[in-house]
Amino acid sequence: MNFVLLFLITIFSLSLFFYGRSKTKSISIEKNIRLNALPKFYGYYLVLWCSIPALVFLLVWSLFEPVIIKSIIIETAANQGAIFSDKNEANLIYEKIKAIHLGTYFGDIDSILKESALAYAKFINLFTNSKVVLIFGIIIASVIYSLKKIKNNNKARDDVEVILKGLLFVSSLIAILTTLGIIFSLLFESIKFFSVINVFDYLFGTNWSPQRAFVRDASSITAAEFEELKDAFGFIPLIAGTSFIAFIAMLVAVPIGLFSGIYMAEYASIKVRRISKPIIEILAGIPTVVYGFFAALTVGPFFRQVGENLGLTVSSESALAAGLIMGIMIIPYVSSLSDDVINSVPQSLRDGSYAVGATKSETIKQVVIPAALPGIIGSVLLAVSRAIGETMIVVMAAGLAANLTINPLESTTTITTQIVMILVGDQEFDSPKTQSAFALGLTLFIATLILNYIAQRAVKKYREKYD
Amino acid sequence: MSNIKIKSKNLDVFYGDKQALFDVNLDLNEKEVTALIGPSGCGKSTFIRCINRMNDVIDICKVTGNIEMDGMDINDKNLDVVALREKVGMVFQKPNPFPKSIYDNISYGPKIHGKGETKSELDEIVENSLRKSALWEEVKDRLDEPGTSLSGGQQQRLCIARAISVNPEVILMDEPCSALDPIATAKIEELIDELKKTYTIVIVTHSMAQAVRVSQKTGFFHLGKLIEVGKTEKVFKNPDNKMTQDYITGRFG
Repeated sequence: MNFVLLFLITIFSLSLFFYGRSKTKSISIEKNIRLNALPKFYGYYLVLWCSIPALVFLLVWSLFEPVIIKSIIIETAANQGAIFSDKNEANLIYEKIKAIHLGTYFGDIDSILKESALAYAKFINLFTNSKVVLIFGIIIASVIYSLKKIKNNNKARDDVEVILKGLLFVSSLIAILTTLGIIFSLLFESIKFFSVINVFDYLFGTNWSPQRAFVRDASSITAAEFEELKDAFGFIPLIAGTSFIAFIAMLVAVPIGLFSGIYMAEYASIKVRRISKPIIEILAGIPTVVYGFFAALTVGPFFRQVGENLGLTVSSESALAAGLIMGIMIIPYVSSLSDDVINSVPQSLRDGSYAVGATKSETIKQVVIPAALPGIIGSVLLAVSRAIGETMIVVMAAGLAANLTINPLESTTTITTQIVMILVGDQEFDSPKTQSAFALGLTLFIATLILNYIAQRAVKKYREKYD
Repeated sequence: MSNIKIKSKNLDVFYGDKQALFDVNLDLNEKEVTALIGPSGCGKSTFIRCINRMNDVIDICKVTGNIEMDGMDINDKNLDVVALREKVGMVFQKPNPFPKSIYDNISYGPKIHGKGETKSELDEIVENSLRKSALWEEVKDRLDEPGTSLSGGQQQRLCIARAISVNPEVILMDEPCSALDPIATAKIEELIDELKKTYTIVIVTHSMAQAVRVSQKTGFFHLGKLIEVGKTEKVFKNPDNKMTQDYITGRFG
């Protein structure tokens, strides 16, 4: 039904566009007056007036309809003698009634349920009909209103501008509200977690074994259990593993990315650049899960083999394999950004350097790179926050055990891996184990936020210098 | 008559398919200021960029013909461009100090050429260069501040100091005052007068008055051709060519 309504609203709006355009044209010719806006603006004006009120109404109605029907139905069922002690049982009865209505319920149907199902059908019908009637009423009212305005040769252009501005504002508002919503959900769940586990135990603990808290209701935790849990959520091994893998990734990505960026910006001919830059950027487009199995199935075993031949014990899931592949994944971030930054160093600086007799590499090393340094640092920091937030590769290639190690050949784990491990499979939503995922998410979010902020500040500082 | 320092013969320059200079024959006298005038895009800058081979930087640029400095062929493929640019310094239209300290801006050139091995030698070079460019008194107490923190006119004098820090024989100036106010311009012109005692100077300018003030010899370019060249006094007072006459009196340009 909603799709039919949407379709009809679209059709009406579009036809009104053409109607409004030609109508105002003919008005201007008939009465020989100069219109206050181009005819197409009157078209837009009608479209916006026809569609927006109806769409807003449809949206609001669709949000509230199920809630209202549900409360009415539960009430009628209760009046007819249905017995339920709490909200969950009421929900269950409501779902049964709905299923009976749709003909997908195969249990016993008693008279109460039957009556309620009939009532449900009645209400659904009533609501749908009134929805259609109201929407058409709104459309007709707004069209009449806007047509009248148009006939008076209103300033359609200004009105359209105002409405469009409103639409753009609402879009950005949605984006902002979503972000806030995510932050707050992280925050509230984390607060629940920290009400059980001390913040300092979490931040400075060196032991991470959340499975100890599996299926343990946070609200009914005993003192003995608490003692046991106290040191199960130590954040240090995770941040150490994360930083370690990110560090290995940076060891790969920064030199290769930076050098290829310098080559692209300073040495490559336009032709080479035009071909090779997109190819490097393809690296950023490969799904990370593909990198993940490349790391887990090819690189990991390869290192293990090499290690065995050299007489070293190499775990098949190692920080080295994960970091290496992650570094390769990040190369395009560094190379592309540093290429852009180096390119925006003014040619006049290079000329100045050549003019005193410097060679190309001297110029790059001593003039271009220092001038581009803030921007390069910015690109590296963005790459670091990408590395810290990366999940798939480490889940597949770095291992799950929270070892506190700096041996790159051993398996280690990261914050993101642990979040995945905690939330995969069956879980109790009240247990500290599950809630620790939110705490990890919040910590990760704050860490990348700080890095991004520093990176953007660095990039901005650079921009101010030459604009 | 002073010695000829730089001599160009049948010099042609192409940017891709477009010819920018046609058969330019121009002699530059030693320890003299030569001004090059002419409307925008007439090839003045292209010409001076031939002298220190700065056109090498532009991929599509091709230079044919002959250009010599002290009898040495500048266009020679085997010529060491680094050594050439050590002898031929350049100052650009817009001041382009490096984003480094004032000191490092000046010491950059000498360091690259291995001059000034010790700190005190470098200090001396920096001081001398800044003194010669009449900037020393203004910046001697803040040598470690960034070069970009100076005013436009000071920046341009810093760039001149940078050019003379490697002790060149020739200084090319590509509209050095076009981004400066009259007071800063006057200072630079004064400086040019002083510098010509030591260096051969070529200056590209759009200001007739400046050409008259600073130069001994003037060349007028139009559409890539050298229309007229001669003593500045003569070119401005009594030009041979009608086009020169029209340009310097402001009838076109």
